[in-house]
Amino acid sequence: MIVHVENLVKRYGELTAVDHLSMDVRQGEIFGLLGPNGSGKTTAINCILSLLKYDKGIIEIFDKPMTPYAYDIKKDIGIVMQNVAVFEELTVYENIDYFCGLYIKDKVQKEAYVKEAIDFVGLGDFIKFYPKKLSGGLLRRLNIACGIAHKPKLIILDEPTVAVDPQSRNKILEGIVALNRQGATIIYTSHYMEEVEQICSRIMILDKGRIIAEGTKEELKNMISLSEKISVEVFGLSEAHVKEIGLLPNITSVTYQNHTLDIKSHKGKNNLENVLDYIRKNGINFGTIYSEKPTLNDVFLEITGKELRD
Amino acid sequence: MPVFKLCLKIFKQKLPVMMIYVGLFLGISLLIAGASKTDREKGFVQSKTNISVINYDQSPLVAGLINGLKEIAHIVPLEDEPSTLQDALYYRKVTYILRIPEDFTEKFLAGDEVWIEKTGIPNSIDAVYVDLQVNQYLRIAELYKSQSHMDSATIAEHIKRDMEIETEVKLNGGDEVKQDQSYAMFYYNYLAYSLFSVLILGISTIILVFNNQDLRRRNACSPITASSSNFQFILANGVFAVICWAIMVGFCIIFDYKNSNTPNTLLFLMNSFVFTLCAVSISFLVGNLVKNQEGISALTNVIALGPSFISGVFVPQEFLGEKVLKVASFTPTYWYVKANNTIANLNSFDMASIRETIGYTGIVLGFAVAFLALALVIGKKKQLSQEA
Repeated sequence: MIVHVENLVKRYGELTAVDHLSMDVRQGEIFGLLGPNGSGKTTAINCILSLLKYDKGIIEIFDKPMTPYAYDIKKDIGIVMQNVAVFEELTVYENIDYFCGLYIKDKVQKEAYVKEAIDFVGLGDFIKFYPKKLSGGLLRRLNIACGIAHKPKLIILDEPTVAVDPQSRNKILEGIVALNRQGATIIYTSHYMEEVEQICSRIMILDKGRIIAEGTKEELKNMISLSEKISVEVFGLSEAHVKEIGLLPNITSVTYQNHTLDIKSHKGKNNLENVLDYIRKNGINFGTIYSEKPTLNDVFLEITGKELRD
Repeated sequence: MPVFKLCLKIFKQKLPVMMIYVGLFLGISLLIAGASKTDREKGFVQSKTNISVINYDQSPLVAGLINGLKEIAHIVPLEDEPSTLQDALYYRKVTYILRIPEDFTEKFLAGDEVWIEKTGIPNSIDAVYVDLQVNQYLRIAELYKSQSHMDSATIAEHIKRDMEIETEVKLNGGDEVKQDQSYAMFYYNYLAYSLFSVLILGISTIILVFNNQDLRRRNACSPITASSSNFQFILANGVFAVICWAIMVGFCIIFDYKNSNTPNTLLFLMNSFVFTLCAVSISFLVGNLVKNQEGISALTNVIALGPSFISGVFVPQEFLGEKVLKVASFTPTYWYVKANNTIANLNSFDMASIRETIGYTGIVLGFAVAFLALALVIGKKKQLSQEA
């Protein structure tokens, strides 16, 4: 096991930030920690890295107990903090060189690694820039380069795409997948369910410091009763029609707002077909129709009763 | 040594601002150096006052007296006109007028009471010196006259020979003629302000950078041990402080090289080095107290400039009020300046002589230890609060 956490508890006075968290991260996977802001993701990561003292629990990395003095473990970990942690006084190159130098003693090897990291995050044109001159996206890429330049076995990325433009976000996500393909095990925390869904092989959903679900994205979606969401653009639908649609087989909820009929259904065959049949038979004018599978937000919503972005 | 190199790079970033302080300091020091390059630097030089002798007695005895006076004064010839003489005194053409009557030698040899009339500027120090010379000459003449019946020429000859005898005086406490340390004293006093400013600016900035919680945590994730990291950090700051000190005292030795080859210089160096340690401690404290770069600039002015004004860096301590000095005594700058003032006046370097200086420097060292302890406590408290 790359990371083993057992019953981790971290309290700030009355508030329990991490509540009996247990998790196992296996070699070669991208493990996603998903949860809204304040759910305890960063606190859990800081405890795992021994940056914070915790009240209870066992933490092992590479099958060894993790402590602030476990330098032999630290040398194989790469960390990309939620807040960009780079020196304003150093250029892009100097920053990467410094952080790589904390791990790599050999000058030639370090130089090669720094160049690789610069190419990897696409900062080749900005090596002489100071962080203040970089855009938010480029700054995040620099933060990542500083965390991965030394080619660690385990990379922990804590919300690396916060406040990043879509182009940089895609570049970052592609990079993480590439790092994983190169052999690194990755722990990825985010409150963006699309990102976690896109790149993570296994996901743990946290809320108020507690685990509310864990598994692959398919396993998570199978946990909930919702199977399908159908949206139909309809004009002039009466309340009676809405009620009748709600009585169709497998339909769990129907709402009609702004000429859009939103239908949620249980697992079952021909749900979409049944809805369309009803619309046609009743001579209702309709426009665009689309159907989508449940997302992790639906999983979160069904388990906690609130949206993931709340 | 990545942490060490990083610190040096950050110091390099702050170099332009620090150079302003150093440049300003050296500029002012050069100006002072230029202004103080006078003959006084060579030590004691005898100066001669202007006097006039209205002589109506052309005897060898009086001629001998006038010749003797020429050794200590310039004889300015003046006409014996009351208005001329008054003008000469009023306009300071002369400071002293000696009038020797016609029958002076005759009466003197006959044993009658004799008078030499003198007119001088009131309270003039020069007059005292001339008086001494005249009195000395006449006393010796009186001595020769009372012992034998010599004529005036013989007496004058004997007096001349006697007065040419020089007695070697050996000062207790060293063979060397004391060198002028006033420039060094000013330089080292002013160093307090510049050194303080530069060190606070450099070291506090580094501490501020490293106290950033995100960077501290990021560094804590690395395999560099805390002791190695701390060692590199302290080493970098130490090297920076020593370089700053060496540059600044180095210029003093260059500017004032004539007077630098003395034990005073060694004591100045020791005192300024201890003060550097104190400035480093205070910089550590400032770095742990402030939250941003603006705070450092503000505190630099308060900590460096404030004590400099009240402790005698810009205005000598002699000119400062008792209450001001009382307040100043709670700052290390006061004791540092006091030590410099003492060192500048030292002529003997045995233990008894330098004890006072060592005492003042010891107080500065005490301040250094106290401020360092305070900085460490605050730093540790900050670190623990971040880890909790």
